[in-house]
Amino acid sequence: MQMTIGQYFPGNSPLHRMDPRAKILCTIALIVGVFASSNLWAYALLFAFMFATIRVSRIGMRFIVKGLKPILFIVIFTFAINMFFTVDGEVLYAWRFIHITDRGVRSAALMALRLVLLVMTTQLLTLCTTSIELTDGIEALLKPLSRVGFPAHELAMMMSIAMRFIPTLLEETDKIIKAQMARGAEFEGGSLIQRARAMLPLLVPLFVSAFRRADELALAMEARCYRGGQGRTRMKRLRFTRLDAIGSAATLAAVVAAAIL
Amino acid sequence: MPIEVRNLTHVYMPGTPFEKKALDDVSFTIGDGEFVGLIGHTGSGKSTLIMHLNGLLKPTSGDVIVDGLSLTQKGVSLRSVREHVGLVFQYPEYQLFEETVVADVMFGPKNLSLSEGDCRARAEEALRLVGLDEPALWEKSPFELSGGQKRRVAIAGVLAMKPNTLILDEPTAGLDPRGRDGIMALMKDIHAAGTTLVMVSHSMTDVSRLCGRILVMNRARLAIDAAPAEVFADAARLREAGLNLPPCALLAERLREAGFSGIPREAYTQETVSRAILAALGRGDAACR
Repeated sequence: MQMTIGQYFPGNSPLHRMDPRAKILCTIALIVGVFASSNLWAYALLFAFMFATIRVSRIGMRFIVKGLKPILFIVIFTFAINMFFTVDGEVLYAWRFIHITDRGVRSAALMALRLVLLVMTTQLLTLCTTSIELTDGIEALLKPLSRVGFPAHELAMMMSIAMRFIPTLLEETDKIIKAQMARGAEFEGGSLIQRARAMLPLLVPLFVSAFRRADELALAMEARCYRGGQGRTRMKRLRFTRLDAIGSAATLAAVVAAAIL
Repeated sequence: MPIEVRNLTHVYMPGTPFEKKALDDVSFTIGDGEFVGLIGHTGSGKSTLIMHLNGLLKPTSGDVIVDGLSLTQKGVSLRSVREHVGLVFQYPEYQLFEETVVADVMFGPKNLSLSEGDCRARAEEALRLVGLDEPALWEKSPFELSGGQKRRVAIAGVLAMKPNTLILDEPTAGLDPRGRDGIMALMKDIHAAGTTLVMVSHSMTDVSRLCGRILVMNRARLAIDAAPAEVFADAARLREAGLNLPPCALLAERLREAGFSGIPREAYTQETVSRAILAALGRGDAACR
């Protein structure tokens, strides 16, 4: 598995122990900060903050960099688009219809940095937070909206079920692929139509088992008297601690500083 | 078509915190016409091991040689290896997908680029072999069948490729006693027809009934490789691997502990154990019916 976005990295660092609500809010603040700042100094500051946070999380830099691999293509693509299609500014290099201007280079670099920062931020959130904590946090943050009829609990429950089943379905997919390969199926190569047809022996069993699992889960939930969020209490309550205060203050300081720069 | 496994090691997700060594320096050879039982506790590496035998997984180190052909070499046609080494996964009924039973069984032969007629002929032959010989059943949707029937269809799906070696992962898991006996009888038939068989199982009874040789996996290593009588004679070694004796051998062991020292350690089947008990009680062979 090379995808590290959305994956959890077990640990017990201060970042892992923070309240998920605080972590989600900090992530949102950082994303706003990334969009609000538009010069290299601000980005340097945000990067410095990110590296410090990664240090605190005790997750190896190698692991984070590996997680950036899937977006490498998008980063290069946006860099190229920004560089070649910005026409104003001083021309640095011109060849036939290609004009590279100083502004183009600048905006391309900023764009690329912006993307990398955004992915790093969200990646760090999911690496340090289990999916259960994450949905608990989202539910708690959306709770005020349930007064106006927003189904906060249901949404969070759906999210946690969906996330819970991602690894299960991945495993199932892997098993079915192997089983069909043992019968001589090939999933790579061939024309687009051939490849689409080759997916059929995979998709039919996968859907059948997904529906079966959904049925079983619904029964199991009913058997344990699940009836929605009303009156439901928790074993682990979320608590906002000093650690969260420190973390949030540091994040806010970095964001404000970046926005001012 | 002997299958030779040489110093096979497999590591899942190397270089991550989830790294796990599933196979550690495993070596053995399976000869033509053998019936090998592969047993071990959950997570001992059985399933990982069998997926190497037809090239579904690549070894981290070591080699698998099928009929003199190394599967780790580049340019080996894995499809032809998979034609000769058939693999039936655990709960194979979950991989059925076609609209009719016969179409699902034809999936394998079709991947071998045989003609429609040949595919059909092979599918019908395989379905008859697994005991589904009513043509009315063949045109049904596989999803309408009973659990035991579905499993037979799935096994037919692999048999239709006419493998020389058939590997089955827990073929009797989750079946009722009748379905289980049916599958065991089927395996006996397939073996009698000249196919090399490898059966993965937790069930000591199943393994002790049919296999001529037993491989015991324990924590990613091959702990024991011997004939059943020898394996069951050494209960301590089996227990060390997280397993136990089959029921009849267990009874014999208890009786030995209770003072019937005449019951041999090599007895493990229903027949040999009951004969030994009768002998110990001073009755002759005649009473054993």
